[in-house]
Amino acid sequence: MIQRLLPFFTLVALFVILCIVSPNFLTVTNLSSVVRQTAVINIMALGMTVVIISGGIDLSVGSILALAGLLGAMTMEKYGIAWGLAAGVAIGTLSGLGNGLMITSLRVNPFIVTLGTMGIYRGLALIISKGLPVHEIPASYSYLAEGSLLGVPFVLWILLVAAAAMHVTLEHTRLGRYAFSIGSNPDAAYYAGVPVRFHTTAVYAIAGLLTGLAGMIEASRLMTGQPTAGQGYELTAIAAVVIGGGSLRGGEGSVLGTLVGAFIMGLLANGSDLVGTNPYWQQVIIGAVIILAVTFDELRKRRTAA
Amino acid sequence: MVQLKGIQKRFGGVVALRDGSLEVRRGEVHLLMGENGAGKSTLMKIVAGMLEPDGGEFLWQGRSVRFRNPAEAAAHGIAMVHQESLLAPHLSVAENIFLGHEPRRPLGWVNRREMLEHAARIIEEHRFPLQAEWRVERLSPAGKQMVEICRAIRQGSSLLIFDEPTSSLSEAETQEVFRIVRALRERNMGVIYITHRLEELRAIGDRVTVLRDGQTVHSGPLGEISADQIIRHMVGRELNAIYTRAALPPGEEVLAVRGLTRKPVLDDVTFSLRAGEIVGMAGLIGAGRTELCRALFGIDAIDRGEIRIRGRAVGIGSPQDAVREGLALIPEDRQRAGLATGLPVPYNLTMADLKAVCRGGFLKHAAESRITAEFSERLRIRMGPARQPAGRLSGGNQQKVAIAKWLLGQARVFLFDEPTRGIDVGAKMEVFQMMDELARRGAAILMVSSEMAELIQVADRILVMRQGRISGELPGRTTPEAIMRYAAFETGASAAGEAAR
Repeated sequence: MIQRLLPFFTLVALFVILCIVSPNFLTVTNLSSVVRQTAVINIMALGMTVVIISGGIDLSVGSILALAGLLGAMTMEKYGIAWGLAAGVAIGTLSGLGNGLMITSLRVNPFIVTLGTMGIYRGLALIISKGLPVHEIPASYSYLAEGSLLGVPFVLWILLVAAAAMHVTLEHTRLGRYAFSIGSNPDAAYYAGVPVRFHTTAVYAIAGLLTGLAGMIEASRLMTGQPTAGQGYELTAIAAVVIGGGSLRGGEGSVLGTLVGAFIMGLLANGSDLVGTNPYWQQVIIGAVIILAVTFDELRKRRTAA
Repeated sequence: MVQLKGIQKRFGGVVALRDGSLEVRRGEVHLLMGENGAGKSTLMKIVAGMLEPDGGEFLWQGRSVRFRNPAEAAAHGIAMVHQESLLAPHLSVAENIFLGHEPRRPLGWVNRREMLEHAARIIEEHRFPLQAEWRVERLSPAGKQMVEICRAIRQGSSLLIFDEPTSSLSEAETQEVFRIVRALRERNMGVIYITHRLEELRAIGDRVTVLRDGQTVHSGPLGEISADQIIRHMVGRELNAIYTRAALPPGEEVLAVRGLTRKPVLDDVTFSLRAGEIVGMAGLIGAGRTELCRALFGIDAIDRGEIRIRGRAVGIGSPQDAVREGLALIPEDRQRAGLATGLPVPYNLTMADLKAVCRGGFLKHAAESRITAEFSERLRIRMGPARQPAGRLSGGNQQKVAIAKWLLGQARVFLFDEPTRGIDVGAKMEVFQMMDELARRGAAILMVSSEMAELIQVADRILVMRQGRISGELPGRTTPEAIMRYAAFETGASAAGEAAR
């Protein structure tokens, strides 16, 4: 049990250490910026959590983020903020649905399908935009990413609502339970009459929905619809899930773990900035943390399995 | 050659071995028996160098040893033939036999010709039904075991450990393994043989050691002990050696199958099941019994044939359809298809009928806990904390969970595929009782089993399959000889069928 909480303790330890070594860490400004920086990844990682629990993987979320953000911003130019937001989220959901349908109907490994759609969705974003960012966004739209409500960043509220919804989905709905079943043993789930294809498809659609939302936040942060946004985000999102105890073999993972995982990476980046670590080293440190986290988790499992 | 005294091993807080003792001599087949969880596998893993003991004495050829890994054990001449094959499936038989010890040419090139010739020599010398160049993935479980035996012989092993070698083999294959084990004994090797099957005792063993709760409770020559006594040592309590079941008057016809065909594994299969009936299904491995279950359950498509449930023709295209029509399948391979071993027991119990504990797509956790408590009490499922993964349970308890997940729904036709494989005597009886109880509540049961004694004890009537067809039907109280006649030999009907083809 103590080892299961290891990511959580790591986060707390990291927090305490940063409080001690940097006087600028524990300030409203700094903590707000950590939240704003990690919100996009965090929300994507929530979607990635359910995908990984179901035994899948989604490499296309970085591209979905760009496509949804771009089309959302373009819609916003013409029809205003509300329609723009709706369009971004809808595009994300449809892209995820496309992944899910291809995985279940073509029966191709999700790694391959989403590797393909990673290129397809990114390519579509570039074709539609002719490679140019979309700028004509209403100025008030920046509130989504940069505004505050009740003294905390507005995105924190979005994140909390999304996390709560995801937690309820995983632990308290049939869909979540089936995601665990399919991920833990797809044959056993299939033999038990679980509608495997439907729920697998749904899982990718959910990931797409959250990624679409993240894309709109990213658009608000940048105040542009960028066809090149989100490159490499898919790996950061996967890392967050894995650091938080999700297993790429499926059947394991939790919302709380993923949040902790995403914030560990966020604090590492922030802390490195504050103490003036060479940014090139940040990548090395975060990479090492991923390997360490999974190593400890494997050790724990091996010991209890014997 | 091997002497183990007071071996201890614990995993975390769990004591797997308290006092494991064993002595094996050259030129003997030493049986190791005990219920699941008694510590047999742990003890053998210590001998084979896969685990290190926490305490006790381990003498090899009279000298105290302590192996840190399997390679050290192998260097001393100890090899283990595993229940689940540890071979590289994409390589050939010869390549597997020489894996890691390939004959070399200068510059590190593998000398393929010498490897093939040497492998062929080993195969021929022991008359294994193998060819050196065959790919291992296409071999039967028995064939794979033989490759492992070849590998052990190649290493010059003098002690071979078999972990339930016949649990997944047909009668003919079992005989083949017995023949080879006897041949190894002739060559003055020592053999340790873990088994659950009492009827194998006389066929193969010289002496027997029984473990119970991590302790050696009996050790001695087989000639001086009866099967009943061994069972008593294993379970530590009196037990009806033979399960007897009072047959019920059969009710209405629940399942009728006519002309079911799936080329090339099923050929014109026709039979029916009545409510309250347990129908046994005998046959050799590859006769099409598992394939029949899979086809009925919608996992494999059928070419033609008709399935009727309560007189109504049904189309079953997927397990989802099958479940909707009231079918339940307890698959042969529990770990692979029967259970989500990484998930907690309650998740598994409600998997097949999650709607029963749902309202509008939301789970009712309280209802799930109540059902779990009810089942674990009623079926005596010994489970630890509720969040513990199902894979941590013993084989028997896992099987009970795999069966119990169908009790929540409205299943009326149960397909049990090898329900007692790899579970201990006590759990077997409990599985039989569960089947009996289901029959009493009006279910129709098809029980596929390779253990003829078991079929004879439990089934009301027995169907025998051979080469994808039903080759005979026998009353429940029949003899193994009668079953074998239909299972293994040409009968009039099927001989005519062959001729017509």
